[in-house]
Amino acid sequence: MKKNRERFCDREREFVYTFKVGSQCLELRVPLKFPVQENASHLHGRLMLLHSLPCFIENDLKEALSQFVEEESLRDYDRDAESSLEAVKSGEVDLHQLASTWAKAYAETTLEHARPEEPSWDEDFADVYHDLIHSPASETLLNLEHNYFVSISELIGERDVELKKLRERQGIEMEKVMQELGKSLTDQDVNSLAAQHFESQQDLENKWSNELKQSTAIQKQEYQEWVIKLHQDLKNPNNSSLSEEIKVQPSQFRESVEATGRIYEEHRKLEESFTIHLGAQLKTMHNLRLLRADMLDFCKHKRNHRSGVKLHRLQTALSLYSTSLCGLVLLVDNRINSYSGIKRDTGNQNGESDDKTKNAERSYLNILPGEFYITRHSNLSEIHVVFHLCVDDNVKSGNITARDPAIMGLRNILKVCCTHDITTISIPLLLVHDMSEEMTIPWCLRRAELVFKCVKGFMMEMASWDGGISRTVQFLVPHSISEEMFYQLSNMLPQIFRVSSTLTLTSKH
Amino acid sequence: MFPLEDAEIGAFTFFASALPHDVCGSNGLPLTPNSIKILGRFQILKTITHPRLCQYVDISRGKHERLVVVAEHCERSLEDLLRERKPMSCSRVLCIAFEVLQGLQYMNKHGIVHRALSPHNILLDQKGHIKLAKFGLYHMTAHGDDVDFPIGYPSYLAPEVIAQGILKTIDHAPSEKPLPSGPKSDVWSLGIILFELCVGRKLFQSLDISERLKFLLTLDCVDDTLIVLAEEHGCLDIIKELPENVTDLLKKCLTFHPSKRPTPDELMKDKVFSEVAHLYTPFTKPASLFSSSLRCAELTLPEDISQLCKDINSDYLAERSIEEVYYLWCLAGGDLEKELVNKEIIRSKPPICTLPNFLFEDGESFGQGRDRSSLLDDTTVTLSLCQLRNRLKDVGGEAFYPLLEDDQSNLPHSNSNNELSAAATLPLIIRERDTEYQLNRIILFDRLLKAYPYKKNQIWKEARVDIPPLMRGLTWAALLGVEGAIHAKYDSIDKDTPIPTDRQIEVDIPRCHQYDELLSSPEGHAKFRRVLKAWVVSHPDLVYWQGLDSLCAPFLYLNFNNEALAYACMSAFIPKYLYNFFLKDNSHVIQEYLTVFSQMIAFHDPELSNHLNEIGFIPDLYAIPWFLTMFTHVFPLHKIFHLWDTLLLGNSSFPFCIGVAILQQLRDRLLANGFNECILLFSDLPEIDIERCVRESINLFCWTPKSATYRQHAQPPKSPSDSSGVRSSAPYFSAECSDPPRTDLSRESIPLNDLKSEVSPRISAEDLIDLCELTVTGHFKTPIKKTKSSKPKLLVVDIRNSEDFVRGHISGSINIPFSAAFTAEGELTQGPYTAMLQNFKGKVIVIVGHVAKHTAEFAAQLVKMKYPRICILDGGINKIKPTGLLTIPSPQI
Repeated sequence: MKKNRERFCDREREFVYTFKVGSQCLELRVPLKFPVQENASHLHGRLMLLHSLPCFIENDLKEALSQFVEEESLRDYDRDAESSLEAVKSGEVDLHQLASTWAKAYAETTLEHARPEEPSWDEDFADVYHDLIHSPASETLLNLEHNYFVSISELIGERDVELKKLRERQGIEMEKVMQELGKSLTDQDVNSLAAQHFESQQDLENKWSNELKQSTAIQKQEYQEWVIKLHQDLKNPNNSSLSEEIKVQPSQFRESVEATGRIYEEHRKLEESFTIHLGAQLKTMHNLRLLRADMLDFCKHKRNHRSGVKLHRLQTALSLYSTSLCGLVLLVDNRINSYSGIKRDTGNQNGESDDKTKNAERSYLNILPGEFYITRHSNLSEIHVVFHLCVDDNVKSGNITARDPAIMGLRNILKVCCTHDITTISIPLLLVHDMSEEMTIPWCLRRAELVFKCVKGFMMEMASWDGGISRTVQFLVPHSISEEMFYQLSNMLPQIFRVSSTLTLTSKH
Repeated sequence: MFPLEDAEIGAFTFFASALPHDVCGSNGLPLTPNSIKILGRFQILKTITHPRLCQYVDISRGKHERLVVVAEHCERSLEDLLRERKPMSCSRVLCIAFEVLQGLQYMNKHGIVHRALSPHNILLDQKGHIKLAKFGLYHMTAHGDDVDFPIGYPSYLAPEVIAQGILKTIDHAPSEKPLPSGPKSDVWSLGIILFELCVGRKLFQSLDISERLKFLLTLDCVDDTLIVLAEEHGCLDIIKELPENVTDLLKKCLTFHPSKRPTPDELMKDKVFSEVAHLYTPFTKPASLFSSSLRCAELTLPEDISQLCKDINSDYLAERSIEEVYYLWCLAGGDLEKELVNKEIIRSKPPICTLPNFLFEDGESFGQGRDRSSLLDDTTVTLSLCQLRNRLKDVGGEAFYPLLEDDQSNLPHSNSNNELSAAATLPLIIRERDTEYQLNRIILFDRLLKAYPYKKNQIWKEARVDIPPLMRGLTWAALLGVEGAIHAKYDSIDKDTPIPTDRQIEVDIPRCHQYDELLSSPEGHAKFRRVLKAWVVSHPDLVYWQGLDSLCAPFLYLNFNNEALAYACMSAFIPKYLYNFFLKDNSHVIQEYLTVFSQMIAFHDPELSNHLNEIGFIPDLYAIPWFLTMFTHVFPLHKIFHLWDTLLLGNSSFPFCIGVAILQQLRDRLLANGFNECILLFSDLPEIDIERCVRESINLFCWTPKSATYRQHAQPPKSPSDSSGVRSSAPYFSAECSDPPRTDLSRESIPLNDLKSEVSPRISAEDLIDLCELTVTGHFKTPIKKTKSSKPKLLVVDIRNSEDFVRGHISGSINIPFSAAFTAEGELTQGPYTAMLQNFKGKVIVIVGHVAKHTAEFAAQLVKMKYPRICILDGGINKIKPTGLLTIPSPQI
């Protein structure tokens, strides 16, 4: 088919026009390339000018030219059409495959021919939840979630205590053994004890993780059933028990055992906000914020000041199924199944009850730097979506460039933000969650500059994807950064982004 | 466009294909989103106006590559007739066939193929005539390339269309790009539809899509398609009983081989239509404004004038064009997306449910379920006009038919007149969103523009109030005095032959106002290229300077479907405001312009001027792109429109005032900062409140004596014969619009260096006389002007020594001899008139002397002391002497 096509395309044909000037017969020959792209009247004007043709033939030439173009194009259409019919007839193109390609295209793209939609539990639940959270039942809903959260925190607390006890016991044992080392015990004995210790730790951890898994699953199911039931009851007007159902819940509100006891170590949170403009002529406005805070602060429910937290929670819950979501970038290593560092902490946050947290499918074990998986959350304090961006040790080195996988990952994250209405995104500015020794002041400045500049570039690119919807981008730096460093970074920001001027109110002259 | 009449406005939506991840265009810039390409291609469809075609009105881009198309719509279609399951009468079938062909033929003439013909896209208006809907879909989507769904409906696809398969051109190198479907594929689709109408049922309902298509392709091998189709559907007897011309028509349409199938044009002329063809008169498009044919040629008054009033109905809104009605619908709170959401055409899922699970480094995502809401549902939703009609229910008929002859009444005298005049005092942004106000303005401008150029003066007058955004393109053309056969002129310019400037144009276009959807579309780029090339080619004495692209942008945007008009406007604009700015060596023009601008800053804001001069932040560093592009390089389009609405009413010195007004808005920051910060500030101009800027520029203009902005390189005034006829237009801010004829009292040109050395502007003796309201007695013919109370009061300071002053001076002037005026520190020495001078601070002060150097110095001193509005009499006292205006004071004073 290809060959046939080539024969008919991009051919030159000659347009011949004869006219008389007095007794003289003149001929105009113009090679034209088909298919003709340009407007016939432009072409005509050019011919008149180029060949200094007399004005009296103007209209006649115009007509002849457009007729010629029309006829020749029709002939091309016919030939092209016939050749494709011929290709089917001769079997060069498989009829069945052709027909099924068409059928597939219709089935995949048009509502009329698409397969009927399987009811999606996800979306139905979305509607139900969205309804409830925007109803008086919202408080009950949040309280229930909170209770789940508390009970899971207690479990985690217990786990930690038990693990701690175990470790302490093992520590003592090990110490004893070490004292005996070289006397009555050999290296091998020590090793076997260490292995034994590790094994019992693993066992305990597994036990707990199973228990946690089980309780979250129970909670999840309970919660879902309860939400569906409540929704049905709400729809049913002659249900008197309803108001009770809603009322009863708050009284059940349990204070967390450690709520008063465990006070978060509150670092002085540093924060600075900027309003910036992007674009040369038409400017789009965005908000930037530089924060010295822990990434997980956005996930944690701070138990020590409840009312404010509740508002945060409510806000997050209300917007869960809206078109302005909040996202967070967490940096992870490439071992999805392992359980360490920040992933462990997130795990703890996530573990605290959930109605519909969906973890990424655990099937791909290897993810590469720059790739990320996305989890969705309904009960983190300020976050709906978490991007788990895979980075390697390379980010600790000082010389990463704008083409680094981590940076490209950020770009893809911002792209997802565009396509999925995530309007607030928090990014670790230095691409690390914790500071280490090699991260000197110049290292920080260099890294911050790189990330600022790249994000600026991506935001400008985003404007062409989504028409410049106003966004909030939060840059987070680790707690361990000094106040001085923080202000150095906050001074850098307005040099890279164009900060909109403060509104100055002046009296009229 | 036609009036709306009994038609309705409909909207349908679809998604453009998403772009592949991380692919760059050949120029290294990011690819244009498909929705923008479609939006650009759509525009031309708005100009395709035919009674058998649904008029396209608008397209808008929603989130995530969604497009919503607005077009004329009728609720009933052939689909409804088929649903009755009754065979249609043969005469009706013939009429329908003929009407469809009329529409197809007209489309084909404009290079457009329908490809999506189906019973539900053939609408029926109130009178039972057909209108083709969605006829532009194939065109706007680049023959289906830019969308995921196939264009056309399985039962109605022509065999060759099926055989060509679904090929996206992007998969192929351009050389092997298959041709799109031709006009004949529509004839096949029509054949199937007519067959269905004849038998009163839909075909192929029992077959699934792939079987349907296979069946259609096997029709090649049969003798008589008609019989096979009839047998397949068990309606042979109906088909056999059809009259010969109908079977003939069906057979011709359902010719398997396209080479043997007629085109719509050929088929229309076929004898099968001999019965019905005479019932229809061929359609001719009415001549538009700026067309070279006579617009009134077809106008005839009926014998009995009362005939005209016979079928008057009270639905005046329906007499407005569909474009206007839609525009007003939007103003009255119409929301396209909302309408489509209400009818459940747009069903978006919460974004959190559609997030992918995993993203690879190359941007490919994983675990994202196919979003059903992105499937094509091309149902057209009728937009309800209730809200609009309700809003306009109190608007009387007079508003729809304003009287234009009475110059006193520019607004209709209706009940709402008071409201309207109240509305006229509201801020422009509010007026532009006021439905009733815009209705009145649009109708008024529409009528005035129809009477252009006859009503030119009144257009100027109304434009001073405001310009309705919908009519801006034509109004600007009228204000710029565009006339004549602009299309023929534009067509005759060679826009194709490569010229050396091409490369620069090619670089500039993808950087010019690209935030705008229209101008960033490939269609927009092509138009840019043509208009710019046309201008460069047709102005051999001028060259392309970077900035011309920005200058072209507002005209192209406003006249996107009328390149000739965009070109004509641009060609009229440049000599008026940017005379010789585009010379190959334009330095003398620009230098003079900037020097005058400097003087204007000093004249209006001495403090700022002193500061800027002190830190060396001279206009050369920032103002060249301002003036060279008339601010189009620094502002987004919507601001340019408001700025230029006023600019076009002023003369060539108005831009100076805009420049000063911009500086004044940034005054505090400029004053507080040094050179580096100022440079940084202006590298990307901060947001400017444009309405305030316009208001202040007008105010500045009123304070500026005309001759203060005199430039020797300005466009020479038109010869009287030229200006007498057309340019009798009313002035705007000053008492003069076009330059007065030159006299001895006018300003004389001085060398650039001298001009640069003077801080304050010179004014002509003529202006001085005018401003002092002196009466000229001599043999000089100065134009006699009306006394205006708003004229600035001024003070004339005579700096000659007192002896000279006593011998004769301008009446009312004070004498502060230069030699003793200032102390060594530059302070004013105390004299009899010092207090008076201080009292006049803020008014116009004219320094008069006979040594040019002294007057300039004196003026500079005053500027240093922050005296605003200081100017110098050009030529000194000697200029006044011959007029006999000097008076000799009585000795006792």
